[in-house]
Amino acid sequence: MSTDEPSSTAEKHGHEHHEVEGPGYPTPAAMRTESEREKTAFVIALRVGMDVDGSDFIGVVDLDPESDTYSELVDTVEMPNKGDELHHFGWNSCSSSCHTEGLMRDHLIVPGQRSSRIHILDAEDPRNMEIEKVIEPEEIFEYDLSAPHTVHCVPGGKVVISMLGDANGELPGGFLQLDQSDFSIDGHWEADRGDMEMNYDYWYQPRHNVMISTEWAAPKTYYPGFDLDDVEEGKYGDSIHIWDWENKEHQQTLNFGEEGQIPLEIRMPHDPEETQGYVGAALSSNILRFWEESDGVWEWEKVIDVESREHPDWDMPVPGLVTDIVLSLDDQYLFFSNWLHGDMRMYDVSDFGNPRLVDRIWAGGNFADRQEIQGTEIRGAPQMLQLSRDGKRIYWTTSLFSSWDNQFYPEIGEKGSLMMKADVYPDEGRMELDEDFLVDFGDAPGGPARAHEIRWPGGDCTSDVWQ
Amino acid sequence: MHQVTLEWRDGREVTVEVAEGETVIDATEREGLGVPYGCLYGACATCTGRLLDGDLVHVERANGLKPRHRRAGYVLLCIAEPHSDCRIEVGAEVQADLVPNPWK
Repeated sequence: MSTDEPSSTAEKHGHEHHEVEGPGYPTPAAMRTESEREKTAFVIALRVGMDVDGSDFIGVVDLDPESDTYSELVDTVEMPNKGDELHHFGWNSCSSSCHTEGLMRDHLIVPGQRSSRIHILDAEDPRNMEIEKVIEPEEIFEYDLSAPHTVHCVPGGKVVISMLGDANGELPGGFLQLDQSDFSIDGHWEADRGDMEMNYDYWYQPRHNVMISTEWAAPKTYYPGFDLDDVEEGKYGDSIHIWDWENKEHQQTLNFGEEGQIPLEIRMPHDPEETQGYVGAALSSNILRFWEESDGVWEWEKVIDVESREHPDWDMPVPGLVTDIVLSLDDQYLFFSNWLHGDMRMYDVSDFGNPRLVDRIWAGGNFADRQEIQGTEIRGAPQMLQLSRDGKRIYWTTSLFSSWDNQFYPEIGEKGSLMMKADVYPDEGRMELDEDFLVDFGDAPGGPARAHEIRWPGGDCTSDVWQ
Repeated sequence: MHQVTLEWRDGREVTVEVAEGETVIDATEREGLGVPYGCLYGACATCTGRLLDGDLVHVERANGLKPRHRRAGYVLLCIAEPHSDCRIEVGAEVQADLVPNPWK
């Protein structure tokens, strides 16, 4: 199955009633071993909050080493409006839709974090994408929701998007459900949100009827920038929420307190049998593991603690700020970024409760010796990560969020951010920075841009869930 | 109709006419001036400017600004309508004034 083809498979899967054809791969191992090397990357790139009079866009980056334009931005798909702050995005369908005959992984759902506008792109030809539909903010506000974030396609022909605020950018947030067939709005996904008010990312394991969501803050709180007073006033999150996936009801809140302030990115193993996972607490700079006990109650513990570091130019110790985490498709390695320190770490997680640091790459940030690549200043530090399906290449971008960039790496607002890469050697438990690879979004056509989330056509380590 | 003079920190200065019922961002977009904006309802503060002179009124709640920002003259141009001729500092750098690096 070519990686640049919209994926569809007729293979029989490992669980019940599986005679139908659907998109995606029957197992995580099939995705890891039977897909080819990624040849194209879709990279979110934004102009919001810059003195560049242009729209945000999806950058198409050539990742085919045989190509003359390898490691170059070969196309840009501009959004029809300005000010969206494109952030995260997702597919209309993935391996979770394995029962849905005839469905293709051929549309990208691309929300605007600030605008609350949702774009649907026809991505059947990854090198020639088109905007097919735009859901305008007013249509979203009608459901008293705003600030769309994580997009997952889910079984049953639906797409569910975590929404961080209400129509005024205040709490509570919720979840918006779209229909995969025409991308019309069904309404709220959740039937009962219990005591959940803040929202951010989510992951689900349909085999165990569980969904787990995380917390950032109210949009009006995090949009203008990161203010410690807001943390002290309890306006930032420190909990995750366990949901009954089928009944769409809130079941349990895991409160982390000081150990888990601003729990952002959540990953559960790709193995559909697993009932545990990790969440990266950005501000506390901890990785927390959560798991289900035999009585159905969920527990948590801290498994990685990134120590704050003294810096001669800073008054207070600098936290790592764990802003993104990714699990390899074989669930053997965990990678995460310390956006303020400037390192990206690789852990052996074959013993899930006892992660073992095996390697790290320093590039940019406040502590790395390496502050340049190919003679270009590294603006920002490792942030959004994406791992190749075979687990042998990891790519990252260096911008976090326009207003937060302005506080910590203001040069990104003037000159844009970067996309970088390291080669991963899973059999040896190590990584090496690829100094020949660099995409400088400062040189984007029409002016500098902030590169953010990365995805491959055909699915990746953060897109697919198995039933 | 009011004359609104926009001043960027690099010294650029442009005067635009803002009609009755029009926000400053409506006018800057009409004139293609590239003043940043985001949510367009006063929550995100991407469009932050600083009022130097004149009478500028928020026509919706400026949720993205704290009281200390309001006192220092910061305004959200996506929901701000002039009630007199005004001078406003604009540009992407103005937003960065709102919240400095808390640890540095």
